[in-house]
Amino acid sequence: MVLVTSVRDYINRMLQDISGMKVLILDSETVSNVSIVYSQSELLQKEVFLVEMIDSISVSKESMSHLKAVYFIRPTSENIQKLRYQLANPRFGEYHLFFSNLLKDTQIHILADSDEQEVVQQVQEYYADFVAGDPYHFTLNMASNHLYMIPAVVDPAGLQRFSDRVVDGIAAVFLALKRRPVIRYQRTSDTAKRIAQESAKLMYQQESALFDFRRTESSPLLLVIDRRDDPVTPLLNQWTYQAMVHELIGLQDNKVDLKAIGSLPKDQQVEVVLSSEQDAFFKSNMYENFGDIGMNIKRMVDDFQQVAKSNQNIQTVEDMARFVDNYPEYKKMQGNVSKHVTLVTEMSKLVEARKLMMVSQTEQDLACNGGQGAAYEAVTDLLSNESVSDIDRLRLVMLYALRYEKENPVQLMQLFNKLASRSPKYKPGLVQFLLKQAGVEKRTGDLFGNRDLLNIARNMARGLKGVENVYTQHQPLLFQTMESITRGRLRDVDYPFVGDHYQQGRPQEVVIFMVGGTTYEESRSVALQNATNSGIRFILGGTAVLNSKRFLKDLEEAQRISRSGSHMV
Amino acid sequence: MATRNRTTVYRKHRDACKSARAPLSLSASDSFGGPVIEMVSGSFTRSNHTSYAPLNSNDPGPSSSDAFTIGMPPAWVDDSEEITFNIQKVRDKMSELAKAHSKALMPTFGDNKGIQRVVEMLTHDITDLLRNSEKRLQKLSTRGPSEESNLRKNVQRSLATDLQNLSMDLRRKQSTYLKRLQQQKEGQDGVDLEFNLNGKMSRLDEDDELGGMGLDEHQTIKLKKGQHVSAEREREIQQVLGSVNDLAQIMKDLSALVIDQGTIVDRIDYNIQNVSTSVEEGYKQLQKAERTQREGAMVKCATILLILCLIMIVLLVLKNLLL
Repeated sequence: MVLVTSVRDYINRMLQDISGMKVLILDSETVSNVSIVYSQSELLQKEVFLVEMIDSISVSKESMSHLKAVYFIRPTSENIQKLRYQLANPRFGEYHLFFSNLLKDTQIHILADSDEQEVVQQVQEYYADFVAGDPYHFTLNMASNHLYMIPAVVDPAGLQRFSDRVVDGIAAVFLALKRRPVIRYQRTSDTAKRIAQESAKLMYQQESALFDFRRTESSPLLLVIDRRDDPVTPLLNQWTYQAMVHELIGLQDNKVDLKAIGSLPKDQQVEVVLSSEQDAFFKSNMYENFGDIGMNIKRMVDDFQQVAKSNQNIQTVEDMARFVDNYPEYKKMQGNVSKHVTLVTEMSKLVEARKLMMVSQTEQDLACNGGQGAAYEAVTDLLSNESVSDIDRLRLVMLYALRYEKENPVQLMQLFNKLASRSPKYKPGLVQFLLKQAGVEKRTGDLFGNRDLLNIARNMARGLKGVENVYTQHQPLLFQTMESITRGRLRDVDYPFVGDHYQQGRPQEVVIFMVGGTTYEESRSVALQNATNSGIRFILGGTAVLNSKRFLKDLEEAQRISRSGSHMV
Repeated sequence: MATRNRTTVYRKHRDACKSARAPLSLSASDSFGGPVIEMVSGSFTRSNHTSYAPLNSNDPGPSSSDAFTIGMPPAWVDDSEEITFNIQKVRDKMSELAKAHSKALMPTFGDNKGIQRVVEMLTHDITDLLRNSEKRLQKLSTRGPSEESNLRKNVQRSLATDLQNLSMDLRRKQSTYLKRLQQQKEGQDGVDLEFNLNGKMSRLDEDDELGGMGLDEHQTIKLKKGQHVSAEREREIQQVLGSVNDLAQIMKDLSALVIDQGTIVDRIDYNIQNVSTSVEEGYKQLQKAERTQREGAMVKCATILLILCLIMIVLLVLKNLLL
C-alpha cells in the first residue's frame, strides 16, 4: 500500500461512520497532511461542510450544535489545551477526536477531566502524521530543518524537539504501513544515530505491543541517513519537471505559488496545483526532462485546439447538446493546458535570464566528471559572467569546493576571494562551514565515485560511453545506496543496526529517511527504481523537501546559530 | 493502516472524574440505584477503576444525548433537507423513467400512447423537481465572511454538485431517447411514409392520367393517418427538446456553484487560507472605516470650533465698536 492511499483511507474511515453535517477541525500540520491527498469536493461528498483551524474555532462563541465536530490534530500540548477549553464550553453537538499520533495517558486524562458535558463520542489514534506528496515520497515539513547540523551541546532542547518530531513521523509511517522494521543508520551522523535509536526504543520497548504486527518473512528496513552525506544533490540545478518547478519557482504541498515570479497578468490564478494524483498530464511528465516536456505540452496544446475548434462550429441541436455534455471536460482541459503552459513559459524565461544552461553544464561536470584544472577555469569564467546570479555563483563555488576540497588549496582560496568580491550579499565563511559540515571526512558514502577502484572504473566507462543528456547525467548518492540495498551489499560498518534486530534475508520494503530533507531528484530516483520491479519497494522520506534556496537558507541559519553558540561557550 | 481506539480509556476516566466531582449530589438524588448498591459500587469505583465498567449499565450512558441537548438547527437546514429529499425523489423517478424509456422504444403493434404519456409526465415531474430544488438552493446563499455563511456556501456547493450530476444524467437519457426516437421515425415511419407518399404521388399522377377519377377513399385515410402519426412524433420531439433546453439553463445556473475538481479552488488549505485572509481583509477595511469616521468627526468638531471662534471674534469686534 502506498502512502497516499493510506492517508486517504484514514480520512475516509474517519468521516464515513459519522452521519450528518460535520465540521472538520485541523491544526497547522494536519491541514497539510489532509489537503495534499484529499480535496474540498470530496469532503463535501462526505457531508463535511466546514473546515476550520483549531485556532480560529476557539475564537468564535457562536453555537452550532447541529454540527458534529471531527477533530484531526497532532497530540501536542498546545492542541490539547485548546481542545480542553473547547470541551469545557462546547460549540458543537458531538465531538469525535482523532489524533495523528500516539496519545499520552495524561493527555487523555486532561481531556476527560474537562469534558463535563460528555460531548466526546470517541477518541482515536489514526496515524496519518506525515505529508504524502507522492506515492513513494513523504515529508514532515519541519520548519526548523537546520537543527540537524547543530551539535547537541549548543541547543539541546531544540534538538530534542527536532528528533522527537522525526521519531513521531517515522513511527506514524510504519504504523500506517503496519510494519515493524529493523533499523540501520549512517554511522558518521550523530543526529541520524540518535533518531534511529529513539525510534528503536519506541518501537521495541515503549509501544512494543502496538507495533506487534503479523510477521512477514523478512522484516522491512528503516535506514536513517544524513543529508550532509550528499550535499551535492540539493545544490544542482534540476531539469526534470517536478524537480525543476521546485528549484525555480517552489513547490509547497504540491502547490505552486506564482506570485513569487511576478510578471503575471492580473486575471490569472496566482496559485496552481501540481499533483500527480489529480493531473494525468503531470503524472506522466513529472519525471521527464525539460525538452521532452516542451514537446509534450505542444502536443497537448494541439489536442486542445482540436477540441476547441470542434466546439466552435455549433450548427445543429445535436452539436449543442454534445457541447453542453462535454463542456465540463473542456473547461478542465483548458485550465490544465493554461496551467502547464504558464509554468513552462515562466521557467524557460528564468532559464534564459539566469543563463542556467551554461551554469548547469558546469555544475554537472563538477558533480560527475573529473578534471580539476578545467573545472577551475569554468568556474572562474562563470564567476565573472555578469548575467549569472549570486545564488548560482555561490552554488558553483560550493560544488567546486566539495569536489576538490583537498586539491590545490591556493586556487580554492582564489575562488573564495573572487566570490566574495563578485557577490556582495555573500556571507563570508559559508562555503567553509559547508566543508566543515559535509566535507570529505564527514561523509560515509562515495559521493563522487572516486574512492574505490571499482567506482573509478565505472565512472571512466561511463565517460567513454558518453551521456545521453548533459544536464541530467547526475545520479544522486541515494541511487547507489538503493543499489547496495538491492544487492545486499550495504556495509554493516558504515550502516550499523540498532539493537539486536538484524536483517534476515533481503528486505521487501525499505524506508529511507533522510534527516535534513530530500530533493525531488531523489524522489524521482526512488520512483524510477520502484518502477523496475526489483522486488524491493523503496519509500523515501525527509524532514523537508529541499531546493537549493532552502538548503542554503538552512546552512546559513545553522552557521549563525553555531557561531553564536561557540561565542557562548 | 493501524489505528488505536482510546475511547474506552477516555470514557473510563471521564466517568471516574464525574463520580469524583459530584459524589454527594449523586448519592442524594439517585432515585433508581438502591442505596446499598450505590454504596457498594461507590467504594468499588474508588478502589479499582477497571471494575467500574459494569456500573455503566445503570447510568444513562455517556453516548446518550440527554446530557447535552441538541439545539435547534437554523432554518436553512430545512431547505437543505428538502433539497436532499427532492434529490432522492428525482433519483427514484429517474430509474422509473429509464424503464419507461425502454418500454416506449420497444416496437409495439398497438398504440403505445399510454407509455409515452408516462414518459412525458415523468420527465415533467423531474424537471419540475430539479427546478424547484435549484430555486431553493439559491435561497441558501448568504453574504459575509462568518463561519455560518461559509458553512451554508459549502452545503450549497455540495447540493449543487449533486443536482448537476442528476441533471446531466437526465440530459443524457433524454438525448439518447430522442436520438432513438428519431431513428425509429426515420427507420419505420419515415421510410414508410415517404414510400406511401411517393406511391401516392405516382398513383395520383397515374390517376390523373387515367382521367382524374379522384382519390381512393382508403388511401386518403391512410395518408391522413400517416400525417397524424408524424405530427405526433414531431410534437414529442419538440417536447423533449424543450426539456433539454430547460435543463441546459439549470445546468448553467448550477455550474457557477460547483467546484472544478483538481484546481486550486478544490484545495482544502487554500480554502482555509482564503477565509482567513478575507476575514483579515474585512478587519482591515473595518479599521480603515473607523479611522475615516473618527477623522470625519474630528474635522466636524474643528470646523464647528472655528465657526464659533469667528462668531465670537465678530461679536467681540462688534462689542468693541459699540462701546
